[in-house]
Amino acid sequence: MALYDRDPASLVVADPAKGSFRVHRDAYRSAEVFEREKELIFGKCWLYLGHDSELAKKGDFHARRVGGRDIIFNRDKNGAVGAHYNTCTHRAAKVCRERTGNARTFTCPYHGWVFNSEGKLASQNAKTGYHDDINADGHLDLRSVERLEEYRGFWFVNFNPKAISLYDYLDNARDAIDALMDQTEAKQVILSGEHTYSINANYKLLCENSYDGYHLFPVHASYFDFLRDQLEGTPAAALIDQTLADYTTMGAVRALGNGHAILDSYVPTGRPVAQWLPSFGPEVKPEIEGKYARLVERFGEERANYIATTQKNLVIFPNLVINDILSVTVRIIEPESENRIRVTAWAMGPTDESDTLRAMRLDNFVSFLGPAGFGSPDDIEMLELCQTAASHTPVEWSEISKGFGKSEDPCHASGAPDDEIQMQAYWTMWDRVMNGKIKLEVE
Amino acid sequence: MVMTRTEAEDVLFHEAELLDAWELMDWAAMYTPDSLYEVTSPACADPYGADAANTLFLISDKYDRITGRAKRLMKKTAHAEYPHSKTRHMVSNVRVTGGEGDETKCRANFAVFRTKEDNSTIYMGEAFFTIAGSGTDARILHKRCVLDLNSLYNQGRLTIIL
Repeated sequence: MALYDRDPASLVVADPAKGSFRVHRDAYRSAEVFEREKELIFGKCWLYLGHDSELAKKGDFHARRVGGRDIIFNRDKNGAVGAHYNTCTHRAAKVCRERTGNARTFTCPYHGWVFNSEGKLASQNAKTGYHDDINADGHLDLRSVERLEEYRGFWFVNFNPKAISLYDYLDNARDAIDALMDQTEAKQVILSGEHTYSINANYKLLCENSYDGYHLFPVHASYFDFLRDQLEGTPAAALIDQTLADYTTMGAVRALGNGHAILDSYVPTGRPVAQWLPSFGPEVKPEIEGKYARLVERFGEERANYIATTQKNLVIFPNLVINDILSVTVRIIEPESENRIRVTAWAMGPTDESDTLRAMRLDNFVSFLGPAGFGSPDDIEMLELCQTAASHTPVEWSEISKGFGKSEDPCHASGAPDDEIQMQAYWTMWDRVMNGKIKLEVE
Repeated sequence: MVMTRTEAEDVLFHEAELLDAWELMDWAAMYTPDSLYEVTSPACADPYGADAANTLFLISDKYDRITGRAKRLMKKTAHAEYPHSKTRHMVSNVRVTGGEGDETKCRANFAVFRTKEDNSTIYMGEAFFTIAGSGTDARILHKRCVLDLNSLYNQGRLTIIL
């Protein structure tokens, strides 16, 4: 329970004239606030379900929990992608008990009801007792999620039938997704394997951390030490400190509308598409430089440079993170309560890269990212420190003011890479959705 | 000479002892520039045959990251392990499965208990080793840990060395 009872309307307080942007810590620590978020945020925003490439074949499925709801994400026998609630329409049992696989039908283990890959009830496993037309209106078919739409292979669900389209919801975040998907003329696909872990912290703490340029040096000092050790004696050795010195003057944080935002920055880790560094080794240099040249042909120098050399940390409101950095990770944050989340992260890469570059991409991923990398665990420790301290001290407010006050609308602002513009955009959207100031519905 | 089971156990028990004592640079010294230390992802469909070149692992450390991991974990700025957690490595069911020349292949069950602040968790599974030499000269060429988990839901993260 909250330490203080507060008017929920005042959990986010901004005063542009004073450059002050504050978030009440009940927004992180209150079970009551979380209950309202489940209805108002997770009940009304578009939530990431999975990527098209994860359903390569007809019949492929993944059982996932999204916004607290168990969903079967599958490709039916006709090739169409579906999202069905994972519950038997008879007496509620879960019909799909595997996390992933390929299935023509889903059979409820309790009484044997059978549903086909489109979710239609195919059999009640009973010779007598039912009227022939008992399912004439289809109410005994697996219930489909209210809305299911995709943008460039990223499938999202929305539990509000009247929600605005995913296309409109993503707003300028579409451009950030384009910059990732345009890296290749082949396909970007989710690679084999995933990281699934938990954090004892509020989901919004991980969102904030995922595109926070301000925390980089204090939290990741030991990672930069490691990079320096790796590059010692190579021409790139000076690069680390040079780039880090320039960090706050290159790149930007940009709000992208509807609470989405991106951190565009320059950190000398190298990028498989397409920035070669000596630490990658000479064998992949021609391939990476070739990718860059092709981007220039396709999009011109400026856009190619943005696609290839900018490190991009994108958060799609409210809980999807796409980090296009030394490797690409797609990360969903599934809240279980106000102080616990389940995180699932995948690596993404283009189908037209060499085996050597693919191996390097995955090696880059595990060097920094994931629950056993040299970076993410230190982030996680910070989030848990924030959560436990917020929950066990009476201090009311968190200060998220850095860079605030330069723009009319925080949801369309921009600032330096170590500003907190992106979080101000997130929290402004959060406040608008929680308090009905924005409906996200078609009239 | 391929090691006997008892000789292999001596090597594995020595590694466990170094890890529990947080003598991590000495631990890293048990590895060579050609060594590989791996932990497959719990979600991995085929953790025994998987290749980190095309599948996402939890850990896939060549020598630079083996030593880098040890060095990092000894720093106060490795926040996830500050203060250091307490660990206890249990290594059992050691079986020598093959080898030739001075290389020994063996496998062992493991359970590693970790206490960070007031929380204790367990990492359990099986480890596959290729070890060169024997006794105090033994060097671990390859260690692959396969966790008996479906996720790190209970453990949260894997910041200790298994």
